[in-house]
Amino acid sequence: MALETTLAGAYPKIGDSTEEQKLRRALHQFDKGEISEEDLDLIKNGVTEEAIRQQIEAGLDVVTDGLIRWDDPLTYLCRNITGFETSGLLRYFDTNTFYRQPIVESRLEWIKPILVSDYQFAQAKSTKPVKAVLTGPYTIAKLSRNRFYREFKQLAFDLAHIIHKEVEALEAAGCRYIQLDEPAILNHKHDFNLFLQMYEIVAAQLSKAEKTLQLNFGNLEGLYPKVLNIPVERLGFELTKNHKNWDVIKSAPFTKKMMAGVVDARNTKMESENDLVQAVHQLGEYTSLEQLWLSTSHSLEFLPRSNARKKLELLASAAKQLRGASVS
Amino acid sequence: MNLPVLPTTTVGSFPKPDYLTKARFQFSKNQISKTELEELEKKATKEWVDFQEEIGIDILVDGEMYRGDMVTYFAENFKGFEISGLVRSYGNRYYRKPVAVAEIERVNPVTVEWFKFTQSLTQKPVKGMLTGPYTIMDWSFDEFYPTRRDLCLRLAEVVHDEAKDLEEAGAQYIQIDEPAVSVRPEELELAIEAMGIVTSGLKAYTLTHICYGDFPKIYPKMLDIPVNQIDLELSNNEFDLLDLFKKAPFTRDIGLGVLDVHSHRTETKDEVKARIQKALKFIPKEKIYVSPDCGLKTREVEEAKAKLRVMVEATKEMRETLG
Ligand SMILES: [Zn+2]
Repeated sequence: MALETTLAGAYPKIGDSTEEQKLRRALHQFDKGEISEEDLDLIKNGVTEEAIRQQIEAGLDVVTDGLIRWDDPLTYLCRNITGFETSGLLRYFDTNTFYRQPIVESRLEWIKPILVSDYQFAQAKSTKPVKAVLTGPYTIAKLSRNRFYREFKQLAFDLAHIIHKEVEALEAAGCRYIQLDEPAILNHKHDFNLFLQMYEIVAAQLSKAEKTLQLNFGNLEGLYPKVLNIPVERLGFELTKNHKNWDVIKSAPFTKKMMAGVVDARNTKMESENDLVQAVHQLGEYTSLEQLWLSTSHSLEFLPRSNARKKLELLASAAKQLRGASVS
Repeated sequence: MNLPVLPTTTVGSFPKPDYLTKARFQFSKNQISKTELEELEKKATKEWVDFQEEIGIDILVDGEMYRGDMVTYFAENFKGFEISGLVRSYGNRYYRKPVAVAEIERVNPVTVEWFKFTQSLTQKPVKGMLTGPYTIMDWSFDEFYPTRRDLCLRLAEVVHDEAKDLEEAGAQYIQIDEPAVSVRPEELELAIEAMGIVTSGLKAYTLTHICYGDFPKIYPKMLDIPVNQIDLELSNNEFDLLDLFKKAPFTRDIGLGVLDVHSHRTETKDEVKARIQKALKFIPKEKIYVSPDCGLKTREVEEAKAKLRVMVEATKEMRETLG
């Protein structure tokens, strides 16, 4: 194994060409009742394939299904968990994108796998391993409105059990990489003990897939190094130029695998390949480059597709240069 | 200014009539000329002015028939910006983001001619409508300035020049929207500083609109934004925000959002009245302006009109009970 590249979640759903806008058109037609749900699903399948193909063409080693079917990081999961209703739009962290706030109306229950068929579809279309990406239980709990549980903790633990079942189902379906996004913990660092307990539930007796905990939209100050106690194999976080995390990780040895978000997925400005190579050499002081994943700092939905592609190509090109250097 | 108690107004944008949507599309394909498009933009603006007068809104807007996105519109008219490919905001909604690629400059006034045109159609006051520097900065990519602060403060100077020109053209009300302000509490200070530059030396009544954010994190600090009125989205989340005002009184005038702009359903008069009633518990009536949660441009024309009728009628009935 050598250093590999991946993206931190979603891929842009549309591009600038007419051909690349078919999902937008189809959703529009669906809203007007001009096409059926089956027609729409076929389009979503096609765009998912396109997203996977473009990631592979850009040179990524581990891909995602692009989360093409997801409206936002919460709704796609929550509408398949019994007990949730959805309500008004809220801004997703400090972005100019929105999510529908889930409302907990009754006891939450996992009925059946939510993402397994998406995973199976994507893996069947991909020559590279497909990483499943889902929002973690703490962030779901924190961004929801609780109208049922007496205590936040009860909500949190029920969600931890639900996500555990989902991760278990993904493992059973053969998924080898699972990424859990938990941006909310970076805004609520005082909840860390609860968070740790939740992940003991999420990860209990699951060992087939490599689980990545993705912590972005902030920095790890105050959570590092104790965040290394969370029972996941890999930790993902932002490491763009001058990001605070560069200082934070100096404070203790890094004992997990790392997914380093070195490419800024929230600005079109291109990093220089040399800067990226330098950054990775610096990371070599803290972690084994053999097992390092280089990635984008965030999902790519904050960029136009053409810019997203360029960023992925840059990532792959930097990785290639680094691998070449380590072979010689 | 001769306004009734609980003056009614709107946040800025109205839906474009079908003929204008079609014309904008044709213009983008070079099938009609700029002049032909402008004629239709003026026709639509006049229709909305007539409608606002007919139902009795107190402070009018031009409805932004000539604007696409609230940030991109300004970026397209300032020097130093390019426009990116499409980025998704929610669901099936996409927009093009500005990219700062050089020093930002305002070569000519951007909105002044539209303000003058609209004001010429009515005796009632028309608001000048601008997007604030913090929001333009936050919703743009930046490939030029070293820091967010540098871009934001440069934009503040440019938006100030525009506000000055609107004032000179006769605007008594100038709204500077800052919907992005509510999401990064750590940058609220910067947004306040930037708004200080925009409103510095203005005699017009100034207001800002803020929406869809985590208000508890920026309240009461947001009351330091140097404007006369803060207009807030309140209906979308069932007025939880008012609980905050128990903890610290709302010291500015408030623009009270009473219509959920994301739902197709028309509110009832009773719902609108209940919302005003609830606000009256926390804020004296002299300080309340009534408006929708946000711009109405995403609703159908008839939906928007129905909602606004209810808003104005409910407000009129409230006025009677207040004596
Ligand atoms: Zn708004």
